[in-house]
Amino acid sequence: MKQVYRPLPLALAVSLVAVAGCSNQQESDVKESGTSEQAAVVAPTKAQVVEHYSDLAYANFSDALTTAEALDEAVDTLIENPTEANLAAAKQAWLAARVPYQQTEVFRFGNAIVDDWEGQLNAWPLDEGLIDYVAADGYQYELGNDGATANIIASPSINIGGNTVDVSELTPELLANLNEIGGSEANVATGYHAVEFLLWGQDLNGFDAGAGNRPVTDYAQGEECTHGNCDRRAAYLDAATDLLIDDLEWMVAQWAPGKDDNYRAELLAESPDAAIQKMLFGMGSLSLGELAGERMKVALEANSYEDEHDCFSDNTHNSHYYNGQGVANVYKGTYTRVDGTVVNGPSLSDLVAEVNPELDKTLRVQLVESMAALATMKTVAETDNQPLKFDMMIAPSSERGADIVNGAIVALVNQTGSIEQAAGELGIDSLEPDDAGHAF
Amino acid sequence: MKHPIRTAITAVVIGAAACPAMAQEPADTRAVWHQQVADGYAALQAETEALVSQTLSYCGSPADAQRQALERQWRQAFEAWQAVRWVDFGPVEQGNRAWQFQFWPDPKNLIGRKASLLLQTPDADIGKAVAEGGVAVQGFPMAEYLIFDSRLNQGDQALPAPATCRALRAVAAFAADNSAALVNEWQVFEAAYTANELYLDSTVRAGMTALDILAERRLAAPMGFRGNDRRSVYLADAWRSEYSLAAVRASLEGLRQQFLPGLRQRLMQADETALADRIARAFDDALARLDAMPVAMRPLLDDDEAFGQLQGLYVTISQLQQLVNGQAATALGVIRGFNSSDGD
Repeated sequence: MKQVYRPLPLALAVSLVAVAGCSNQQESDVKESGTSEQAAVVAPTKAQVVEHYSDLAYANFSDALTTAEALDEAVDTLIENPTEANLAAAKQAWLAARVPYQQTEVFRFGNAIVDDWEGQLNAWPLDEGLIDYVAADGYQYELGNDGATANIIASPSINIGGNTVDVSELTPELLANLNEIGGSEANVATGYHAVEFLLWGQDLNGFDAGAGNRPVTDYAQGEECTHGNCDRRAAYLDAATDLLIDDLEWMVAQWAPGKDDNYRAELLAESPDAAIQKMLFGMGSLSLGELAGERMKVALEANSYEDEHDCFSDNTHNSHYYNGQGVANVYKGTYTRVDGTVVNGPSLSDLVAEVNPELDKTLRVQLVESMAALATMKTVAETDNQPLKFDMMIAPSSERGADIVNGAIVALVNQTGSIEQAAGELGIDSLEPDDAGHAF
Repeated sequence: MKHPIRTAITAVVIGAAACPAMAQEPADTRAVWHQQVADGYAALQAETEALVSQTLSYCGSPADAQRQALERQWRQAFEAWQAVRWVDFGPVEQGNRAWQFQFWPDPKNLIGRKASLLLQTPDADIGKAVAEGGVAVQGFPMAEYLIFDSRLNQGDQALPAPATCRALRAVAAFAADNSAALVNEWQVFEAAYTANELYLDSTVRAGMTALDILAERRLAAPMGFRGNDRRSVYLADAWRSEYSLAAVRASLEGLRQQFLPGLRQRLMQADETALADRIARAFDDALARLDAMPVAMRPLLDDDEAFGQLQGLYVTISQLQQLVNGQAATALGVIRGFNSSDGD
């Protein structure tokens, strides 16, 4: 995933000028939340804000783990008893698992340990022909990718770029080794999107309504099996969900309190300014380059459904919505757990409010606005009557869709300008990631 | 001879008039930058218009010499775009014009897929199909596909097939119209540019970002230096026309001509003349290296011995990047902000 860039700067300078207008309703929303007023009374220290940030990450990754465990169980049930109801339940569990995971992505940029790890969990877009059968016509894969049609499920061994790999035993370790095989980041063998493909199948509807439609008989054992190799398909799905849990357990442990040898301990031992820089860098990078740019603007401007994030399940609107929520979580120091409890504490907002209350208010309003824009995308995609999914919004002729996506992009660009200003106010003199070049 | 001189004088006068109360130097620096970029946009307009004419000539009388002239003209127009590609503010930001000129990178061959749709479009609808078809159909990569794609050129639809001529004419015309709009709007933008002090740093940042993209995306990525060891020419610019390194050269030359003079002026105001000289020498070194290399990247990726040349270039450009993005940015107090390449 590290290579697919569209290096066009978004309209930061221009948009900053256009920020001015905010409705009264949104201002009152901000006031009701009250954190700014509390901050005026007792401002936390930077160290307290960083510690609470670690608490947010711990809670968020813990939720990602528990929802992935539920997915794993649902998948086990599906494999044992491949019925329509069990397939539907597994899909529901996958959708639920995405809610906390997408919020964790704000921890990714800035914290190299998360960024280096996430490729095994959330890499996209994938050349799904590496994993399983694909339609004979119209399957688009990365130029020059030898693994794009390897079909691991159908073969006891695969050959990529002259190297033969034994894939007869589909274990979590094997899948981890196969991820990005041959040096292509489109060779995604693991993670949420591999599981998504195995549950939904290819979305062959282009810009039209409809997601992937894999028959449950792809998991039927014996004569009813469709598309062949149902036993290996089941083994693959089982191994992929097991690996997801291993990976999430590792990350939860990195953020767990009370240990002296994990990433949290390392982060808290750094200067608070260094950690605050990571927080802001994560917010800005996810808002602008990744979500507004890579995940929305590229897909919209090129009318490219191959660039849709959750392309098999048509759940892209939720992935975007919860990415946006993650950015707001870090700024406001709050996270609503999957059980409904709220984690709340010292925040960047408190720090900014102390030095520049106007800027804090502006940014909070902008976060409300970007969440409202993403909520519009979510609502339109989920309505019962003629829903407009993300892959329909980006169709060449969809003016309404383009307006919705552009609305979200503009809101995210606007808030990024304020995130930059906040960095300046907090004495962070460079937003260069301190891990720049770690990929080399 | 009259026209360029008059333009230069006008620019300085407007630049000075727009901010009478401010220190003269910063306004002058922006006037320098503005003029250099104006020249670059004017060249882009001339070259894209020539691409339209050459398409008409070749498609009207398809002789070998005309075909070669068409290929040459695409390369020249693409170089003119590479020279101004560093500018990421002002009118080129409006309506995604930069992406309209060049949608890149394109790992999943969206260009090829969109081309097959474009080639089925009847004459009456072709202009609309390009205008409304999204950034992948509108710019240099699509024109490059129609002229150079090896698979297309082996089939019935190779130029001068009517459908391909029609599509190329429409794509080239779209780029020419876009260039003309850039030229006009850049003039209109001058007042805002010279009046707004924020553009002093934004312009430096634009040059910094262009160097980052050059080093990391346009060289390191195809060389397999970004997290994996796989070399892939498909991650470079202009692989279909085998012109990737010529494009890198054109971008560097554009930075030297358009960006460096203003940067030098700012560095001299900050008493950093020695640093400005080192940066100028680093540009010269990188360009000299490129002069000794092929215009295509693929032969250097395919041969381990030749790959050394590419590594040498990468090191030289990284040093230039360090001088500008590290030392000069620090000396000028320019803080890097977020940009779209912060994602993965």
